[in-house]
Formats: sequence, structure tokens, C-alpha cells
Amino acid sequence: MNGWTGQILRVNLTTKTAKTEAFSEEFARKWIGGRGFAAKILFDELAPGIDPLGPDNKFIVALGPIAGIPAPNTGKAVVAGKSPSTGGYGDGNLGTRVAEQLRKAGYDILIVEGRAASPTMLTIEDDKVEFLPADEVWGKGTYATNDWIYAKYGKGVGVLNIGQGGENLVRYAVVRSLEGRAGGRTGMGAVMGSKLLKAIVVKGSKPIPQADPAGMKKVGYDDLREVNRIDKKTGWSIQSTNGVLAWCNEVAALPVHNFRRTHHPDAWKVDGERLNNARVATYGCPNCTMRCGITIHDDEGRESELDYENIGLLGPNLEIFDLPAVGSLNYLCDDYGIDTMSGGCVMSFYADAVERGAAPGDIRFGDSEAFKKLLTSIALRQGQVGNILAEGSMRAARAFGHNSIDYAMQVKGLEVAAYNCKFIPGMALAFGVSPIGAHHKESWVITFELKQSVRESYGPEKAQKVIDLQRIRGGLFEFIVACRFPWIENGWPLEHYPKYFKLVSGLDWTLEDFWTVSDRIYSVIKLFWLREYPQTDRRADYPPAVWFDPSNVDTEGPIAGKCLEYDKYDGLLQHYYDLRGYDKRGIPTKATLERLGVAAEGRAAEKYGTLT
Amino acid sequence: MKITVKLIGPFVQLFGFSEKALDVPPGTTADDLIGLVSIDKARPKIVTRNGRAVVPDEALSDGDRVVISPIYSGG
Repeated sequence: MNGWTGQILRVNLTTKTAKTEAFSEEFARKWIGGRGFAAKILFDELAPGIDPLGPDNKFIVALGPIAGIPAPNTGKAVVAGKSPSTGGYGDGNLGTRVAEQLRKAGYDILIVEGRAASPTMLTIEDDKVEFLPADEVWGKGTYATNDWIYAKYGKGVGVLNIGQGGENLVRYAVVRSLEGRAGGRTGMGAVMGSKLLKAIVVKGSKPIPQADPAGMKKVGYDDLREVNRIDKKTGWSIQSTNGVLAWCNEVAALPVHNFRRTHHPDAWKVDGERLNNARVATYGCPNCTMRCGITIHDDEGRESELDYENIGLLGPNLEIFDLPAVGSLNYLCDDYGIDTMSGGCVMSFYADAVERGAAPGDIRFGDSEAFKKLLTSIALRQGQVGNILAEGSMRAARAFGHNSIDYAMQVKGLEVAAYNCKFIPGMALAFGVSPIGAHHKESWVITFELKQSVRESYGPEKAQKVIDLQRIRGGLFEFIVACRFPWIENGWPLEHYPKYFKLVSGLDWTLEDFWTVSDRIYSVIKLFWLREYPQTDRRADYPPAVWFDPSNVDTEGPIAGKCLEYDKYDGLLQHYYDLRGYDKRGIPTKATLERLGVAAEGRAAEKYGTLT
Repeated sequence: MKITVKLIGPFVQLFGFSEKALDVPPGTTADDLIGLVSIDKARPKIVTRNGRAVVPDEALSDGDRVVISPIYSGG
């Protein structure tokens, strides 16, 4: 089966057994890879209501047809499971050599089941699978763990590992790889930790089945060079993702003081210019020629890789405007294996709650040393506050009470990314309807809202744009499994992806064909959520209440006096549902499921929740 | 009239400045301003005036802050 290895490696940590299973061509064509494979398998194999941190959850690594093959930005893998943050479907992607090595070992999918009796490192070398003790690095951070693995196997292997955050079941713990990449902010690091799975090491030696390997090799390398040429011309990598920080500050979209303010006069101190000036090294994922990772020395002299999201949420959001101090918080998140975005939002929520008398403590915005200590207490679950905050902002708000849920910056239990949507209706919708809880990766519409629409609009054009972007970002790039940056940041045309797909699989598909797959995957993810939350309604798709709070509006600047309005947002949400073919709860209708070829999954879900 | 121009992201390195104040004649539009600071007009961009998007022929006012950014599509 060209394009896919056609094989699943299924590993059980309880029984220390591994077996290989073949998947059908029909399965491959229907779900393509990555998120598609993960969503379908988790829907089929997980019983609703299981504990995401128990042995019944499954940890999946899923690759796509172009993953690992040299071509623009294909060095990525999807990690997935039932989310400890949300209780719904959870996944994330990260740059890793696992993409190439697992496919070369002969697998498109790894499913890890059960729970080990003691800390374990899973090693996969082609057909050989071993369960090795990892006691030596249990309790250590991801950097030390990575070094320990490299010392044993060399730097060419694919590695996924966790830090103390995952071990201690912090609900927003991530999986780490390479020297600076992380993914699975829906708590996939905690899922690994719950299984006492400290690390996965992969090495493969087989060819990846391709319809036209010579053609793919030529096109892939030519296109890698072309993306690099374009990047040099646009200059995007100079400031990388943090180029957008100054813009967010100018247009009142920057999170400041737990999202209560939208801009700050000191924001320039942590902007892209300053980051580029402080650069000590540049990092990228495998198969990338527009490397986005800029490292600086943090305030303790360590190298810390920064981007917009972690600067926005660990910097201005905590009122810290010093790059080395932000770098230090970021380093701790990376070493503990905690998501920088959720970590930033959880800590800003706590400081806000303290300020309002809703939570115990004396932490103050701007105190970077205090936030470092707080972060450590979260990762190690030390003390009452650290333990509560390790649960994420939604659960922490429930513990603190006093209506603090209104300013817990999350949707469905997952914290928002660094875009303050106090008056950005379309982006607020994108957070609201993201299929894994609030995440910017599914759809990013701010520039569209300001340039092709008007900021005040709650019209269907914004709902349509959110869907268009979801199909590309949350669909295509998540199931074919490649980084979206060449397209989103350097305008690399999407038409290249059907071309790559044809070269590896021999299938002549159009982008329209891909959009159907995107919609199918979204529908099955929605059914997963319905089974877990049968009483769900459209309010689950509302963004944080503080964005609707008239007492929280800016008093000066571009959006002075403005905030989101509930009735208008609800209308925008309805536009989204109508365009998607969802009912008033945001669940795909039977007719939509039929159209997308997932009526059987609908019937399976109906045992737990109603469909219309 | 006095206008402040702020460039964003790689435009800073590509066009040689981060922020500058300009004296421009009354009636100067956003598009005129882009020409005055030698920004490639063909390059896709988003231009805001005091934090809100402008159209190219919109006339500027004394004291305006104009921000010129490449079109980011999000991290």
C-alpha cells in the first residue's frame, strides 16, 4: 500500500507485550493519517467515561502519508489520547525524529495501552520492542532525560519523553522531543506519566513505501530549497513567530494581566526585535528550512527557546517584560514538561484570583521569582495551591469559587492561546469551537477580521473563514502530518500537498477531497465529545466570560469601551453550526454524518447521546 | 502634520527602521505614507491606524500612529 506502511504497533505496558496489526486501504483513505487515525481509533476503542489518567486510556502516536519523508516541514508527529484537561478528545503535534524513525521501523501508528508496574522506557527498533527500566531518570527533567537517552543511543534516534509534570499528572503536561520541541498540550504528557512511561525511543531502517520515491525525493528536496529561498526573501524567520507580538500590542490583542488588558507600553521589551537581538542559537524540527526556534540565555544562563505563545503568556500576561526572566519560566516549563501556554494562563489566573481575594496567597503580577517558585510547586504538586493549579484553571476555579471561573481563561478545560479576544469575535469563535478546547492551531482569523472583514462584525463571513481555516490547519496539516508554517507564514501554496500525496500514494486527490476528510474527522471528534458529555449544549462553545464583561473593557486604546456581546456571539456561533451542518447544541446532524460517510459512528454514539 | 510609523516583524530588518516620526502634508493617505517610507507596495501587508485597519486611500490625521505589518497567519 504505497503512501502508508499499513501497520499499527500495539504495545501493552501491563503485560509487556507488543503486536503488529495491519490496517486496510479503506481505513487509510478514509482517515489519511495523524489526527484522522487517532480520532477514529480512540472513538472505536475507548469506552466513554474512562479515567484519562487510568490504564484504560490509550496513548497514540500517529503519522501521515508524507510524515518523515524529506519535503517541506514533514518532521512532525501527532500524539493523542483522551484528554486529562478536558475529558474529551485530545491531541497535539510536535516536531520529532519519531516521524521518520517510526515510519522507517514500519509503522504509521503506535498505540500504547495499560500501565507499567514501574517507570519504563519503550524502545522500538524495527520489529524489536523492549520495555526497559527508566527508574534512573524518573523524577528528572526532560533535558536530563533526553541527554540520558542520547548517551545510550546517539542523537539520530526518535525520542518522546516527559518531565516531572507528566510524572505528577499535571493535567496540561506535554510530551517533549529533540532539544526543544513539545506537543500534546491537552495533557498527553500526563497520559504518558499515568502509564509510568517515561520515554519512547524509536529507530528504523526500512524504506517508507511510496508510489514514486525518486519523484518524491526530487520534488521534496527542491521544495525544501524553495521554502528556504522564500523565507529568506520574506524574512519571516528573523523574528519568527514573535514578530506578531508588537502587532498584537498595537491592535489590542495582547494578553496582559490575565487578559484583563490588551496592550502595554513595555511590550516592546519582549518583542521580536529584542528576541532576535538576544538570539544565541536557532533551532528547527527535522525536514525544516525555515527554522523558527530562537534561543536566548535566560536569567540563570541557560538556553531557552522562545516563541510568541510562550512569551505572550509567560511575559505580558504575567506582567513580566524582561526576556531573560520570561526565558527562565519557559525553561522550567520545558524541563518539567508543562505546556507553556496553559502554564502561563493558570499562573495568571491564580494571580488574578489572589488579587480579587478569591484564592489564598500573596503572589503579585510582575514577580518573576515568585512565578518560578509557583511553577515548581505545580510541576511537583507541592502544597495545596500547587496541587490545585496542577489541575488546570477550570478545576482550580471550581476549587477557589467566588465566580473565579469567569476569568479562568479556558474553553472546555483547555487554556486559550496568546490572543486576547476581548473584542475579536471571530478569533473568540475559533477558540470556542476548537475541537480540543481553546487552541489557536485550528483557526487563526485575526488578520482576516481586521483586513478582509471588520472587527465589529459577527457575520457569517467570519464563521465561514473559521471553517476554511479549520479544514486546512486542523484538518489537512494534522492528518497529512506536516507543519503549517510554510503555508501560513511564507505563503507556500496548498496545492503542493495533493502533489506530495500523489507522489507517495499514487492517488490523484484534490484539495476539495481533503476538506471532506477534514470535516469527517471533526465530526467524529464531536461524537467523541458527545459520548463523554451527553448533556452538552452550545454554551460549551462559549469563550471565557470575562471577554463579555462590560466592567472589564479597555478604558483607552483602539477598543476602548468595547467587549464581546453574548447575543451577537451566539448568532455567530449559529452561523458556524449552520455552515457545518451541526444542530443547535453544536453536534453534527444525522444528515451531516451520512454525507461525510460516518453514519455508523453516529449510530454508535447514539447509545450515549441523542442525534438529530 | 506629524505621523508616527511603526514597522512590524521582518519589515524592521527589510526596510531599515523600527519606528519613525514623519512630517507629512495634510491630506496624506495611508497609501501615500507607504510610498514615503519606501515599503514595497506589492508586498502583502496589513496597515492599521491607531490600532484599527485602514484602506489605502484613507486620509490620515495629525498625531496618527500607523503600523505596517506583514500578514501574519498565526503560530
